[in-house]
Amino acid sequence: MENDGRRNFLGICLGGLATLAAAAVSFPVFRYLAPRSSKVTNGKVTILEKDMPEGEAKFFEFAGSSAVLVRKRGGELTALSAVCTHLGCIVQWEKDKQDFLCPCHAGRFTPEGVVISGPPPKALTKIPFVVTNGTITVG
Amino acid sequence: MGALLMIFRSRTGQSRIFKGVLSGLLLTVFLPILPSLALAQEQQEIVCIQCHSGLEEKYSQPVKLWRSSIHAVNGIACNACHGGDPKDMANAMNPARGFLGVPGEKDIPAFCGRCHVGVTKDYLSSAHGLALGKGGPTCVTCHGSHLVRKVSLELISEKYCTQCHNFERAKLIKDAMLETELLIVAIDGRIEGFKNQGTDTGKLEQSLFAVRNRFHTLFHDVDVEKVKKESTQINGELKKIDNVLQGLDDARRKRKIAGACAVAGALLAGLLFHLLRKTYA
Repeated sequence: MENDGRRNFLGICLGGLATLAAAAVSFPVFRYLAPRSSKVTNGKVTILEKDMPEGEAKFFEFAGSSAVLVRKRGGELTALSAVCTHLGCIVQWEKDKQDFLCPCHAGRFTPEGVVISGPPPKALTKIPFVVTNGTITVG
Repeated sequence: MGALLMIFRSRTGQSRIFKGVLSGLLLTVFLPILPSLALAQEQQEIVCIQCHSGLEEKYSQPVKLWRSSIHAVNGIACNACHGGDPKDMANAMNPARGFLGVPGEKDIPAFCGRCHVGVTKDYLSSAHGLALGKGGPTCVTCHGSHLVRKVSLELISEKYCTQCHNFERAKLIKDAMLETELLIVAIDGRIEGFKNQGTDTGKLEQSLFAVRNRFHTLFHDVDVEKVKKESTQINGELKKIDNVLQGLDDARRKRKIAGACAVAGALLAGLLFHLLRKTYA
């Protein structure tokens, strides 16, 4: 009788421990698979279309990093990360040449972010955007 | 080892296995160092270094100095600045192959500025740049021509500044930059620590490089007020990087606690199993 009580108690304790262990393993897996919170995904930036004249670029903060929206001569819009793919400096828009220049090591990019010259190993990352009723929404 | 080889050689099938295992082991040992061997080979192939290393002091010293420079660390060899053909001894210094040689004093900022565009722009608009060709300093006055090192605030010193003027104004700028510089050095050290422990710090390193570069270009303006104004913004950028590092510290601390709990739980489970087993004895 005494052993039965002890067994029950030890069994409950072990069951509790097993449940805790299962929860400790499942929670990180669930957190990894679950969709990101709206706090992370809703970091969209809106810019009025009328504020983007041809040949101009507008820099802004996007997802904790520097980004740029550029309207080429001809009207086409592109949104890009403004972080140079070489060592991480912020590129500058050269209005007269209509391209991006990294001030650190002279990496040069087209308005679409493609590398023209210099050490950057790859193109600037494109950022999706939509234009609705005269408003450009980036992200 | 020899006896071991004899045993393996006595059996042809096993010998083949042995060779396979040995090849695998050799590959495992040497594969990680292959890229550095390839780099060393590539550097040896540059004819500029081959030739100049054997010349008299005046011509061989640049090679010696360059070897300890940040340019050498990043694989920026002679031809990146001086042009020419680094793989053809006969045409290495042929202007038709883009050889530029040594720039004249007035051409130095443009020479360095082919890569360091931002800094050159700041320098040219500063008092230093405006005095170019009239006794003012060029890039090499402070940074040297071949032993170019990663810059720190130590460069703003009496040794360099008093070559042309007194240290008063430079000291004001240095003092204004000191707080931010110390912050940069501290963050750099923390990132290095995380990197050595296996954390992916690529993005943080890039962010810090960009901020450090922006900060160090401030000195080229030689404008105390601008330094003070921009330092506040730069400190804000550094705070963001610091927050990310703080997050990594927190995650590491939580991981340690979780690990300790897991070990304690396993020990407790072992004890409970032991006691349970005893009830059946």
